[in-house]
Amino acid sequence: MALTLTCPVCGKRNGYEFRYGGEEKGPRPDEAGITPRSWCEYVHMNQCVAGIQKEWWCHKDGCGVWFTTHRDTTCNLEVDKPEAQS
Amino acid sequence: MKRLEKLSTLRINPAKTLHFKYKNKNLKGLSGDTVATALYASGIRIFGRSLKYHRPRGLYSLDGESSNTCMQVNGIPNVCAETTLLADGMEVKAQNVAGSPETDLKGFMDKLDWAMPAGFYYRTLHKPARIWPIALKQVRKAAGLGKISAEFQMPGKYDEIYPKADVCVIGGGPAGMSAALAAAENGLRVILLETRPWLGGFFDYRTAQNGAGLSLSQSVRQAAEQLEQNSNVRIFTQTPVVGVYNNNLVTAFQKGCETDYFDERYLEIRATSVVVATGCSERPLLFENNERPGVMQIGCAHRLAQTYGLLPGKQAVFSIGHDLGLEAALDLFDLGLEVLCVADIREDGQDPALIEGLQQRNIPFLRGWVATRAHGNKTLHKVTLATIPGTLRKDFSCDLLVASAGMTPLTGPLSLAQAKLAFEPYTGFFIPRQLPAKIQVAGRLLGLNHPATIEASGRLAGTLAAGDCGVSVESRLKEAREKLNQLPGPDQGSKLVTAPVQGRKTFICFDEDTTVKNVKQALAKGFDATELIKRFTAAGTGPGQGGIPGHNLPLFVAQYHGDIKATAMPTTVRAPLVPTYIATYAGSNHDMCKRTPVHDSQKAAGGVIRRIGVWKRARYFSKDFSCRAEIENVRKNVGLLDASTLGKFRLWGPDALNALQRVYASDMSRITNGKVKYSAMCNDDACIIDDGVVVKRAENDYYFTTSTARAGATVEWIRYHTRYDGWNFHMVNLTDAFGVINMAGPNARKVLAKVTDADVSDDAFPYAAYREFMIKDTIPVRSMRLGFVGELSFELHVPSSYMQALWDLLTEAGKEFGIRHFGLEAQNVLRMEKAHLIIGSESEQRTTLHDVGLGFLWSRDKSEEKTVGAVALRQTENQEARLKLVGFKMEDPSRVPKDGSIIVDNRIRGYVCIARHSFALQEPVGLALVDAPLAGEGTRLQIYEDECNGQHLYATVVPTPFYDPEGKRIRM
Amino acid sequence: MFGRVKPLWGEKSSLKSNYDAVIIGGGLHGLAAAYFLARDHNMRNVAVLEKRFIGFGGSGRNTAIVRANQRTQENVPLYKEALALWPVLTKDLDYNLMFFNCGNLNLMHSEAAMNAARMNVATAQFHGVESHLIDAKQCKELVPALNILADITYPIFGAMYHPPGGILRHDAIVWGLAKGAAEHGVHVHQQTEVTGIGVENGKIVSVETDKGQIKTPRVLNAAGGYSAALSYQMLGIKLPISVLTIQAMVTQPLKPLLNHVVSSGAYHAYANQTLKGEIATGAHMDSWPNYTTQTTAYYIKHQAEALAEMLPCLRGVKFMRHWGGLADMTPDMAPIMDGNDSIEGYFMDCGWGYFGFKSCAASGKYMAQFMASGNCPNMLKPFSLRRFEQHRLMGETAAVVNYTPDN
Repeated sequence: MALTLTCPVCGKRNGYEFRYGGEEKGPRPDEAGITPRSWCEYVHMNQCVAGIQKEWWCHKDGCGVWFTTHRDTTCNLEVDKPEAQS
Repeated sequence: MKRLEKLSTLRINPAKTLHFKYKNKNLKGLSGDTVATALYASGIRIFGRSLKYHRPRGLYSLDGESSNTCMQVNGIPNVCAETTLLADGMEVKAQNVAGSPETDLKGFMDKLDWAMPAGFYYRTLHKPARIWPIALKQVRKAAGLGKISAEFQMPGKYDEIYPKADVCVIGGGPAGMSAALAAAENGLRVILLETRPWLGGFFDYRTAQNGAGLSLSQSVRQAAEQLEQNSNVRIFTQTPVVGVYNNNLVTAFQKGCETDYFDERYLEIRATSVVVATGCSERPLLFENNERPGVMQIGCAHRLAQTYGLLPGKQAVFSIGHDLGLEAALDLFDLGLEVLCVADIREDGQDPALIEGLQQRNIPFLRGWVATRAHGNKTLHKVTLATIPGTLRKDFSCDLLVASAGMTPLTGPLSLAQAKLAFEPYTGFFIPRQLPAKIQVAGRLLGLNHPATIEASGRLAGTLAAGDCGVSVESRLKEAREKLNQLPGPDQGSKLVTAPVQGRKTFICFDEDTTVKNVKQALAKGFDATELIKRFTAAGTGPGQGGIPGHNLPLFVAQYHGDIKATAMPTTVRAPLVPTYIATYAGSNHDMCKRTPVHDSQKAAGGVIRRIGVWKRARYFSKDFSCRAEIENVRKNVGLLDASTLGKFRLWGPDALNALQRVYASDMSRITNGKVKYSAMCNDDACIIDDGVVVKRAENDYYFTTSTARAGATVEWIRYHTRYDGWNFHMVNLTDAFGVINMAGPNARKVLAKVTDADVSDDAFPYAAYREFMIKDTIPVRSMRLGFVGELSFELHVPSSYMQALWDLLTEAGKEFGIRHFGLEAQNVLRMEKAHLIIGSESEQRTTLHDVGLGFLWSRDKSEEKTVGAVALRQTENQEARLKLVGFKMEDPSRVPKDGSIIVDNRIRGYVCIARHSFALQEPVGLALVDAPLAGEGTRLQIYEDECNGQHLYATVVPTPFYDPEGKRIRM
Repeated sequence: MFGRVKPLWGEKSSLKSNYDAVIIGGGLHGLAAAYFLARDHNMRNVAVLEKRFIGFGGSGRNTAIVRANQRTQENVPLYKEALALWPVLTKDLDYNLMFFNCGNLNLMHSEAAMNAARMNVATAQFHGVESHLIDAKQCKELVPALNILADITYPIFGAMYHPPGGILRHDAIVWGLAKGAAEHGVHVHQQTEVTGIGVENGKIVSVETDKGQIKTPRVLNAAGGYSAALSYQMLGIKLPISVLTIQAMVTQPLKPLLNHVVSSGAYHAYANQTLKGEIATGAHMDSWPNYTTQTTAYYIKHQAEALAEMLPCLRGVKFMRHWGGLADMTPDMAPIMDGNDSIEGYFMDCGWGYFGFKSCAASGKYMAQFMASGNCPNMLKPFSLRRFEQHRLMGETAAVVNYTPDN
């Protein structure tokens, strides 16, 4: 495995320059009406997709940007046009 | 042994003799020899003994697929004698021998195989239980081949490089060379990796004609010269590939030659396209005693003669399944080898010219025959041949059996690159059916055999690789395809899985002494998948990994299941493809750590430096690790602490406040100019992850600090938690840009006043205030009145370049006030006396802001801000049964409990985070995280130290801070 | 010579349409649960379903280290019991699990680390588990190959020495448990993939497989790296798990050199010598979830750099095999053992991360008890899934873990 990721600022780079930021779960929910369970769902629970997932990455050793990308977790390759494949 | 001379194919230099030692004898070899060929030239036939049965082992392939020729060289174990070039002065020893390789005292083990069926360990040695520990010792002793001592120091120099290439070609044989040339002709940067010391692959030693009046050897050597001239191609010889990873990352290591500055060098190559042209090795022939010294593969015999000038034996029998075997028989016959018989597994399909050659030389030729048994206790002296069904048999007395079942493609790099391989019945190969993006394949590993076809397939692959790199190659591709299509395709491969054998010593894996019988035993036990058989019989798990059994084992298992075509699956291949020294992988030292701007000053002043996270810091300033003098001086006079490692950040822009509100528990809108605000950050479980101070330097412009450990993650953290908001703010990490001195103690103001004109009186610069001023009219300072160590103190933030000047200035100015440095441990005690927490010391992953008593920092009135941790802070606010941070004093003040001691009753109720003797209070005090019911003042705590033998210590929960509870001294 | 050889885990049986319990995953945890269900709870009509072959996953990819010097009192007793079970299982299964009781040294590289280790040591001693803090010199006496010089990246200050720990032969446990389970009537179905789980009125009723449907009132999810995906896809239950690849490697075999398991948090490496003589070493995880078991060039190099400093004689030894496996990591590095919560009859034994090997015997025993009685044994109560929504992380790791985005 030799992950590469495409940073929107810096282009295709070695995966070790990046920090993984979790599955895409949407913006922080409003605090009103939140229950311990629904909060836990947002904070900790994962779908653990075996396939293409949308996820967050930070180019920590580069420009510092957070961005989303699609990656196939079964082969560790970025996916260009996820719509066409998923 | 006398060498064959005047062969145009030789790769040794007869004029240059090298001396080496083996078995206390001084032996000679030639420059160009490998350790193995030099030993062979000196008459050595047994190179070592096998792992389990201590069977004699010798030369087999010259490519080192097995442990047969693993030897100790210059004290280094498991050196592959077949692939290591001889050097002058080498000391060579055989491995796994008790006595000598020829007379091994453990040779009797070979007779005990009946007692060691597959997986026998699992069923024996545990009944009764007390014998296992004794047996275990024997098992350990018997295991392993090489020896290394705990004091061993690996000699040599190791390096690493990280080249980039458009096209990386793996394999410098005819296909790889053609591919490299084709890619280079398209203007691309090519890296060509070859394991052997020269290019040319299996053409290099062959005298067969190429059709244009040259021998294959001559033509390929000319081509190699041409390639070496090509400035687009960077050639690495003696460079086996060890790993291929996705996105075309190729790793390899290069063995240095005499003129290189390194002994071995690790290579990590990122290529746009990769061409795999690794060719083939030979599939070992399975028959009784198939690894007896004197039995060797075609290439081994052929190369011994043509490359090294060593006739491999006197009288030979050939049992082969490939035209290369016929060619070798003719060639070696012409060089003087007596060939008694050539048995070919194949009934037909041979090149008629080769058959004619045999006839011309009166060499008996048997179609559909195969070796079934090698005879001879230590080395070969007789061979039994039989028809494939085993109905007819013939014996031949001989000292050499050239044996090979056919070819096996070297698909290791492809497997590692996640190519999908499938069994192809015509060639009998595992052929790539689906290639990963930008990986091309060429040459023999596709089953090709004809020299011109191999070269043409190389050209095609090189052109395809150029296409991968974005070069427009359509017309060239068309041309290359057409050329390839006009040439002969793959030859039919031999189908034989195993010779008709009855005995128990047909070895499918040499390293682990795994026999065909063992595999059958595993199958009978229900281990039906090849991978399970590998694990149960250990086949393919030894020093040479799958090199010997990699092809035969899956074929054998598939045959057992009755359908080779449907069930043959290649076994898993793992990196490194060639065993590689840890020294080589390690390369040079890669430790990186940061030093503060006043590192050297502190060290010179007696600082005991420790690595803490990414930093090196001064922990003590004396040999007295209680730090009494440092501590008392801060309380009494004034001390200087280098706090440069604190995280320091500027955050500014229209949405700066929003960002702060998001991550800090407190209401950050209430920061006032000129004041510092202490607050904390939590995660979404309400656990405290950081604390620090924030100042507002201008509208929408903030400067804040974090703990040392948290500095690296802070920017990411804030960006992460604002990533959906589209806010307009900027952040910059100033940690390295600013140094920090904490000057603390009752005399601190006096020292500061001496070096600045600014008014630093308590009225002008009170506690918790923030000021910016100049020191000596030169050094711009950001200063905070903080009280971490519990005394009047000024935290001075200055540009890093001024740190040394300021440090010296203060040290000098403070002399009359008794200034001295203090280190981290002194700070630790000082702050503990104030019950100021250090994250990670008084908190852990599960500790909330409430738990450490800092819940008051949380502002519950800013839910619009969606503060990180706020939801959980609300949910945990009144939760019971959590660990709470408390202060304690000891019942017996003569004893300080050790950090990390636990607090118990009938179960564990907490632990001591820190406890020290307080010189200020003249008794021990400490902080502990305890179950909430024990957190009340006056509660008696029972402390259990390691090795206490039931002698508990007792403490009482007391209010904190211990020292100066009114906080008068920080406000001086 | 050996008479008629019987397959180790029984003759191949065809999938029945009814089982009292279905266990998903033919790894150590699933097989152990099956074994104890059949042996101790008389529940013999049990199927273990394995998509590949038994021991394919983490069970065959770990480095077989066992120990009971965990950090918290919720964990230590479980691992202590597991440790005590190896000799017992060797006897009961009549299969040599090859327990090499060599002891473990957990190296500490700073004063602070020594203090942190003291808590583990005290916790262990309090629970009657032998464990000691030793200094660098004592480390060197136990492991002469260690580098205790002060000028290396992470100088050794001492170690947590845990004599009861050691290593086993991982495959032997897989095969032994399969054998034991089969002898008590359990069906081990290899190459059988679960495709769905049937739930009616909040109760488990069936399991769908590629070989047909099974009616059953109980399902144990012991699918290791695949447990979280399976739970979500088949039951809509998300778990706080990230599936990461953990890597390990071995050197070519040597005559005895290391007589203990040596590990170091700072170097991020452990090393021990297997009974075959290989130095087994590993620890690294890449922080991004994935389902490949691919290795990385980055890591084998990192490992070499670490060993070259820690155990410098190993510079002259060759790596020969590097592999990866999946680790189902939870935010607090402690497992999820739970059941009968939102769905009656659905049990989970997952989230083991890289502790699944050393715990399997004990977790199997208690999960079997849980499944047979329907009541969660006290030993397992702290491991409930609900602890995460209560913000009660387990404390197995002191430091904030850095591989989840929420820290």
